[in-house]
Amino acid sequence: MASQVITITSGKGGVGKTTATANLGIALAQRGRRVVCLDADIGLRNLDVVMGLENRIVYDLVDVIEQRAHLRQALIQDKRLPELFLLPAAQTREKTAINETQMRALCAQLKTEFDFILVDSPAGIEHGFKNALAPADQVLVVVTPEVSSVRDADRIIGLVEATEKPAPQLILNRMQPTLIKRGEMLDIADVLEILAIELIGIVPEDETIITSANRGQPAVLLDHSAAGAAFIRIARRLLGEQVPFGALEEPSLLARLANFFRR
Amino acid sequence: MSTITFKGTRDGLVVTLGENSWTDTISELATQLQRPNAQSFFRGARVLLETGSRALDGLQLEELSALFAQYNMTLAAVAGEGSPPILLDAMRQAPPPPESIPLELAHATPPNPPLPTAPVLLVQRTVRSGQRVDFAGAVIVIGDVNPGAVVAASEDVIVWGKLRGVVHAGAPSNDEAMVGALILAPTQLRIGRYIARAADDKRPRNLPAEVARVREGRIVVEPWSGA
Repeated sequence: MASQVITITSGKGGVGKTTATANLGIALAQRGRRVVCLDADIGLRNLDVVMGLENRIVYDLVDVIEQRAHLRQALIQDKRLPELFLLPAAQTREKTAINETQMRALCAQLKTEFDFILVDSPAGIEHGFKNALAPADQVLVVVTPEVSSVRDADRIIGLVEATEKPAPQLILNRMQPTLIKRGEMLDIADVLEILAIELIGIVPEDETIITSANRGQPAVLLDHSAAGAAFIRIARRLLGEQVPFGALEEPSLLARLANFFRR
Repeated sequence: MSTITFKGTRDGLVVTLGENSWTDTISELATQLQRPNAQSFFRGARVLLETGSRALDGLQLEELSALFAQYNMTLAAVAGEGSPPILLDAMRQAPPPPESIPLELAHATPPNPPLPTAPVLLVQRTVRSGQRVDFAGAVIVIGDVNPGAVVAASEDVIVWGKLRGVVHAGAPSNDEAMVGALILAPTQLRIGRYIARAADDKRPRNLPAEVARVREGRIVVEPWSGA
């Protein structure tokens, strides 16, 4: 399989882009792929924290682009998985420190060494988002079942569709089955009806996500995390496996039909 | 004075050539494209060229196409008065993308006799949040108009899908225009000089297709049958 740049984005902040990037990176590396997670959120970096690698940072993305460091010097090998690397963002600079051309060139270079380049996009639709989108071969949009998140995801999907890139795929994050049953949350069908793009996975609300992120141990590494298991299923789908949607993941018949007719 | 207009739409950049001579037009276009802040805006754009009353020959089209190509722009379609739109994408025989030809500029000027029909813009995709379609004429959307999206037209607006964003038909003051949708559930509806907003309580789903028009000084919604 050819090397791929996958950008993880959402528009709205706080819906789980960084969590998704870290977990998918680990899940792919566990399956033997060479993976680099690239933090494009310059000035507000935290992928390093979630991955538990903050104290190893010497050089960052901007150092590489401004040629103060070689790419190899800036790449941080994960402490658990030898196939996984992090390219951290600069914390003391701004999004405008780099541009789209530089991002494309950097990712082209990374493609020669890695199977997957996962780009953690900043929130918003401005410069930082455009930098993160520019090198993408594939885009994953993270959305939570809230009206504001869906609205922002719709905006992002429109922006991706305006490029030559393939249609983005959707990660539905933080689903709460009990709230859905009580009718107090948008359900899967509501979200898919508006966004009308292909669903690649549904991740349940899970408190292990918070505790594991705080310890720098993404949930995929835990044995009994429902969210971790969901990210593993998404990683397998990224690898081209046909993984059936589980009970919670099951989109309603109506939603699947709606999706089908849109193709 | 500038005679060439640029208008970004959902489906590409609409470039309208003015009535100047050919040489003037070409040099003005080159100047416009060269402006530093224009370059990033235009880069990679699909160009939908409106030639107005001008008839272009093959050489002139080649010249335009080459000029656009210098700025990584693709000349995708050409439409003029009295001629059907030509889709150059198709002529180049590029492999059709999954949803090919998202837009046709159809100047509805039938050969004879001329009917008093407005131009129609056909939008063959969902208009998403933050996107805006403006058109002097009628607009037909094959797809949804999502919340946060705006469609404004000087004539009717028809949505073959779910209308949940904001639509202004008959903008700015044509009260005769109408809005029809398979599912009519707009955030706000404007027809000519009138504005209506959605009821605050949820309406039942699965209503039949509906149409909204102005009757006796207010916007009225009724089933789309025999209208």
